[in-house]
Amino acid sequence: MATVAASGRTRRRRRNLLESRRFLATALIAPAVLFILVLVGGPLLLAMYLSLTDAVGGTLGGEWVGFDNFLNAWRDPNFRRALRNTLLFTIVSQAIVLLCAGLIAHALTRPIRGKWLLRFLIILPWAAPVPLSTIGWLWIYDSLFSVVNWVAKQLHLVDQFNPPQWLGDPTLALGAVISVHAWRIIPFAVVIFLAGLASIPSEVEDAAKVDGAVGLKKFWYVTLPLQLPIATVALLFGIVFTATDMTVVYILTQGGPFNSTQMLTSWAFFTGIRGGSLGEGAAVSLYLLPLLVVVAVLMLRFARKVEVT
Amino acid sequence: MITSREKLTSYLILGPFALVLAFPFYWMLWTSFKTELDLYDINNVPFFFGHGSPTTKNYSFLFNETEYLTWVKNTAIVGVAVVAITLVLAVPAAYALARLSGRWGQSMGVGIFLTYLVPPTLLFLPLSYVISHFPVGGHAGLQDSLWSLVLVFPSFTVPFSTWLLMGFFKTIPRELEEAARVDGASRLRTLFQIVFPISLPGILTVIIFSFSLVVNDFVYALAFITTSDSKTISTGVFTELIRGDIFFWQALMAATLLPSIPLALLYNMFLDRFIAGFTGGAFR
Amino acid sequence: MADKERVDVSKLDELSRRDLIKRAGAGVILVYGGLGAHGVAYGAPKYRQKELAGTLRILQWSHFVPAYDKWFDNVYTKAWGRANDTEVIVDHINQADLPARVAAEAAAGRGHDMVATLAPLPQYEDRVINHKEIVQAVTRKRGKMKDVAYRSCYNPKTKKYFGFPDSYAPDPVNWRRDYWQEVGFGGGPTSWDVVKRAAPKLRENNRPIGIGMSNEIDSNMALMALMMCFGSFIQSRGHRVTLNTKKTVEVLKFARDLFRSGMSNEIFAWTAASNNQGFLAGRLSLALNAISIPRSAELSNRDLADKTMIAPIPKGPNGRLGLEHVMHTYMVWNFAENKRMAVKFLADLETKYVGAFENSKFYNFPAFPKSVPNIPVRLARDSNTPKGKYKVLGTISEKYTKNVGYPGFTNAAIGEIFDTYLIPQMFAEVAQGRRTPEEAARDYHARLGTIYAKWRRRGKI
Repeated sequence: MATVAASGRTRRRRRNLLESRRFLATALIAPAVLFILVLVGGPLLLAMYLSLTDAVGGTLGGEWVGFDNFLNAWRDPNFRRALRNTLLFTIVSQAIVLLCAGLIAHALTRPIRGKWLLRFLIILPWAAPVPLSTIGWLWIYDSLFSVVNWVAKQLHLVDQFNPPQWLGDPTLALGAVISVHAWRIIPFAVVIFLAGLASIPSEVEDAAKVDGAVGLKKFWYVTLPLQLPIATVALLFGIVFTATDMTVVYILTQGGPFNSTQMLTSWAFFTGIRGGSLGEGAAVSLYLLPLLVVVAVLMLRFARKVEVT
Repeated sequence: MITSREKLTSYLILGPFALVLAFPFYWMLWTSFKTELDLYDINNVPFFFGHGSPTTKNYSFLFNETEYLTWVKNTAIVGVAVVAITLVLAVPAAYALARLSGRWGQSMGVGIFLTYLVPPTLLFLPLSYVISHFPVGGHAGLQDSLWSLVLVFPSFTVPFSTWLLMGFFKTIPRELEEAARVDGASRLRTLFQIVFPISLPGILTVIIFSFSLVVNDFVYALAFITTSDSKTISTGVFTELIRGDIFFWQALMAATLLPSIPLALLYNMFLDRFIAGFTGGAFR
Repeated sequence: MADKERVDVSKLDELSRRDLIKRAGAGVILVYGGLGAHGVAYGAPKYRQKELAGTLRILQWSHFVPAYDKWFDNVYTKAWGRANDTEVIVDHINQADLPARVAAEAAAGRGHDMVATLAPLPQYEDRVINHKEIVQAVTRKRGKMKDVAYRSCYNPKTKKYFGFPDSYAPDPVNWRRDYWQEVGFGGGPTSWDVVKRAAPKLRENNRPIGIGMSNEIDSNMALMALMMCFGSFIQSRGHRVTLNTKKTVEVLKFARDLFRSGMSNEIFAWTAASNNQGFLAGRLSLALNAISIPRSAELSNRDLADKTMIAPIPKGPNGRLGLEHVMHTYMVWNFAENKRMAVKFLADLETKYVGAFENSKFYNFPAFPKSVPNIPVRLARDSNTPKGKYKVLGTISEKYTKNVGYPGFTNAAIGEIFDTYLIPQMFAEVAQGRRTPEEAARDYHARLGTIYAKWRRRGKI
């Protein structure tokens, strides 16, 4: 774009060219598209290729094995559990996020004292780098020094000697992972919801008042429908953040206890990178993509449709 | 009018949520002042200090014995550079997709967004090849250089930002641009003088969002950077405050707390403008 | 532990700095950043007259003894660099995160000249040089490599040394003398039978046994060692899966019963740090770990350190078979820019290993036992109380330290099983009653079989 201000004799011609819709569009879009093609498209194709080979230990190539890796992965119970967990983590954490963020955002629209401080506290999890805040959670859920258990022990809610192991019991550990995901995404969803609420024209509010719609009723019939498109956006991002994330599981549980909290991303890492079966790891991680694409396209369509009506 | 009952409801909702969401940070603060003996004493009440706590030695350890400040600085540098690249690539593309191209613009926008869905778990291997064979840089291209991250991070910030800004540009009334064009301004001039200034909130949104994505990265920084003076905060803290099977918990907590608070303050400060940006962008 | 450590480190610093300055007088200009804001000296000796022969780049873990890294980075490699006209650059990352970086370098075909990991990584065999030359060079001077090291870095199928272990860590059992005395087992955990008998009493006193069954390295090591003591082996000498045996069923039963009678649920949630913390908290009465437990206790809690004993792994029906805790293995990439110096560096390091042995506080045992003279005397000299408690490490390293995958070699299939935590998974599922021991032995035998078949197809086993 910097070259735009070109001078001299060619200026006129260039100017005409720049006035051409098609040329300008291409010129403006091309850098971004090229960049993405090179840095995402290329590696993605390579990953697809690897998933069809028996590549090992960081060698970017191997013998062609067709869909063996995909079949092998499918036959592995740990893989299937990882697939199920990916869906579970995503759906449950996002349900929690939507509910909590909806409530918080709604409450935040009212002009109350100390709002700034409350908003600051609520935003904190979003500001902390995820790998580091997850370490914080690791300490909170520690097997011996868990503050949660300490409180529960003082209140005599749990066994003094053998308190619940937040990261050691499959069900609790699933809950722990979900809690961290929800915790880190709620602030983000709150912000998006606030944007959604801010966008509701005040006429609508007034009209609702005239019609006598208050409280829950108003929420259900007026606010919620108007919020749907933006809720879809928040949800879409939440889904992507959760489903493609490996950091939380990798740091919090390493997939444990006994590989019951593996997600596709982490399982791909443990088989492909740590274990050295690169081809199979690539296959595992690719299982997720078509699913996400379908979900994303549907949600984007839905968001647009709701807007129109 | 807001009734006092409504206000009370707000407090009743916000209070507990704020407590729960901020609790880990409170806990980090507490932990960061503890001595070893205090930390590993199960009989000790964790909400009080003992055994020589509180101590600031964990902080002095962080600042004096590690390159913590360098990691913070590196993160900031990478963040700013990535944001700049993101803007340079995404703003024109988004504008063109929203205004200059017809139906296929929308599809292409979605297409670009979809690349954001690719999980980074394995992408870092091929990308490692790309950065190590980058024509500029040291003995191994951009490996172990901050620039490797500057190059790679836009691969996920650009798709998101383009898509977001696209929505944003659509909300700008066409009449504004047309009026300027009637006055004889070129398309580009219109872009710079009319469109961009009104889009500032949207651009701000993209800035904040891209920056937070950069700070959150883990896998790429882990795979690309090993020299201590080029590490970013996430990996620096992670790779140097965990030694074998010893976790320096207190320093880890301090290291998390320190950048989070100013960032949260900053985000909170810009939140209203951010909201305006998102309102414009995401769903119109 | 940081507190005390710093004192030692600063002393070391002064020493090394003085040492460096002295040498600087000999025509050498040092660019040495000190340990201030710039941290670990990244600069290297620059020579005025001579051209540097090259640069040598090393990547390894952040050693659990911080003083080791300072010695290695600022003293040893600097001195070696001066003697060999080479600038040596050492980078460190956390051991758990090394594999990602190693994979990235292998994929890129560029990076450090050599990387060291805590376990051999046979899957990179095609990307590394044959380390035979180094083994031979050291053998000429120091005699044979220990069998445990040999079996960890050699692939008999392809006849290639896919790595060079400079050292390994013996894996003792750590136990609290006072706790065991309280319940009338003052002799400590001499056999698994004793452990089983003492466990309920220890647990009654809220002092559980701690053998991890979690997704982390210590659990992997402890459980595989326990298996061997019961005569259950993952693979045979000829690298066939041999998991589905009566012995495996027996050891699974034993672990389940031991868990029920003497442990708490915490072992399923463990990270690599948990058994250390459990000991520091005074909770655990027994744990299998390298000497990081007593060593960190010595820094922060002397009283605890005095009560923490180390002993060889308890004896089982199949005798006393332990594993190394860490097999610190260097791999020189075949794409390394400075292979020649890398080879020389490793051979030199191993030939005179005293410094590494001492500075690691006996964590790094030399892969070539004769590289450190008088190991027993050195161990006995340790000043920590009770005096001579580290002597037993010598015995453990001599007699009870086998490689992962024993009686076979450590191979790529073993590596994958290790890194996907299948063994802790098997034990945990049985301990929690989700599977019967028989079922587990059968099922995991089949799962391991798939992994072996895969690597056999690739010609690596």
